[in-house]
Amino acid sequence: MFNELPLVIFTIIAQMSVGSFVVLGLIHLFGARAGREVIDKVSDPALYAIGPVLVLGLLASMTHLGTPIRAVNALRHVDSSWLSREILFGLLFAAIGGAFAFSQWFKWLTPRLRQALAGLAALVGLALIWSMTMVYLLPTVPAWDSWATPVRFFATTFLLGSLAVGAALVVTADVRRRRAAVADDASEAVIMSSLRGIAIGAIAMLGVEFVVVPLYLGKLATDGSPATAASSTALSNTYGGYAVVQLVLVFLGVTLLGVFLSRLAKRFSTARLLAIAPVAAFVLVIAGEIIGRMLFYASYARVGL
Amino acid sequence: MSKANVTKYKQLGFYLDQGGCTGCKACQIACKDKNDLPVGISWRRVAEYSGGGWSKDESLGTFKPNVFTYYTSVACNHCEDPICVRVCPTQAMRKGEDGIVAVDASICIGCRYCEWACPYGAPQFSAEKGVMTKCNFCRDFLAEGREPACVAACPSRVLDFGEIDELRKKHGDTADIEPLPDPAITKPNLVITPHKDAQRSGHGRGTLANPKEV
Repeated sequence: MFNELPLVIFTIIAQMSVGSFVVLGLIHLFGARAGREVIDKVSDPALYAIGPVLVLGLLASMTHLGTPIRAVNALRHVDSSWLSREILFGLLFAAIGGAFAFSQWFKWLTPRLRQALAGLAALVGLALIWSMTMVYLLPTVPAWDSWATPVRFFATTFLLGSLAVGAALVVTADVRRRRAAVADDASEAVIMSSLRGIAIGAIAMLGVEFVVVPLYLGKLATDGSPATAASSTALSNTYGGYAVVQLVLVFLGVTLLGVFLSRLAKRFSTARLLAIAPVAAFVLVIAGEIIGRMLFYASYARVGL
Repeated sequence: MSKANVTKYKQLGFYLDQGGCTGCKACQIACKDKNDLPVGISWRRVAEYSGGGWSKDESLGTFKPNVFTYYTSVACNHCEDPICVRVCPTQAMRKGEDGIVAVDASICIGCRYCEWACPYGAPQFSAEKGVMTKCNFCRDFLAEGREPACVAACPSRVLDFGEIDELRKKHGDTADIEPLPDPAITKPNLVITPHKDAQRSGHGRGTLANPKEV
């Protein structure tokens, strides 16, 4: 259960980073009416947080290696190996996303060009998630070689991406509120409408997981081959307890988001709840997703010997 | 044997006459000894596949046992379509001109992706060296005109090696035997004369009896 921890950290962080980047892009697209300056002010801190986290994830992936000093060799087989492609897109996403973040910070280039750079980074990020998915679609590992793998990887990407951005927005706003003497109504409006979208999106993604996971487990349990039977046993017997904990965490996260949305609709909610709920939901759901990813690796079983 | 007599191979392969394999594991130990493999790494392993139960004899009204066990000695099959080579991110895993699939320890980063992928469990990780290790068909022995250590050690004389085309001409082309995977996945250069109780891959009625050993 704990033996692939470096890969758990790497895949979760990479997916969260790409998801956050895309969600921030969506906030810019949908919030265009509020004006670029307001949106930049609200979302830039979240953008700057992605970089260090992503670097941490890439470093974690290196600790998985038997000879990390030669890690760069992983780029030598791009024409055939999805693992090479995964690392290539990971580095490209970090480089292009980083270039965008720096030009945003120092206001290099024109806003148009910066936007183009961000769009390119988002596309490369999605290519990273796709190649990450392909790495696990091994014909010799039936538990992974399933349509459920891409669905779950992309669901995790957008789920953690939106909740991480949500948490970052409220934390940033909270810090600024304490410092500022006058309320910044324009920013507050953008944050609130972003949080509404984020909560709805996250609940939808959790809904996808609630549908996909039981279907997938059912298929695994009834397939009948020795390898799928071994995977099924690992998920429902050996580590079944973890699966229950994951379910509870995710369920609590959804409930919290639901309460948050209903309070948001009533307009007279306390600022305290509005600040705490997105952060708490993020913590609960990322814990659930980490357990889910550990279970994913624990379900490994190969055909043949 | 002098160097001049050493055969040039196009594609090497292994042959196993399964009916005669007693599961003694001399091949496994000879391999371990020759390659100085530590505990936990076995390039050649012997799978024990067994199953069965009771069948009713209607004429006598009695029950008879119909259990079975057979052994399969497996190393790397130096596949025609080696999935380890395909997925390796570094090109450390390569298929040579003689068809031998070998890992270049000076390039390998020890990501263990080949280990995940190979359905024969051939590439094995050395924690001490930080890289993958695997059967290299005793390339050094072949260069001296000698047999691979596993083949030379078999006391039942049921393990053999050679040019795969010739092995197939002599012994047929069967490799889809439980507990081995469907040969369509990697096209192994392996020929088996099946045991009388052998079952086709994917249609097995037994289980692997020694999972910890393979």
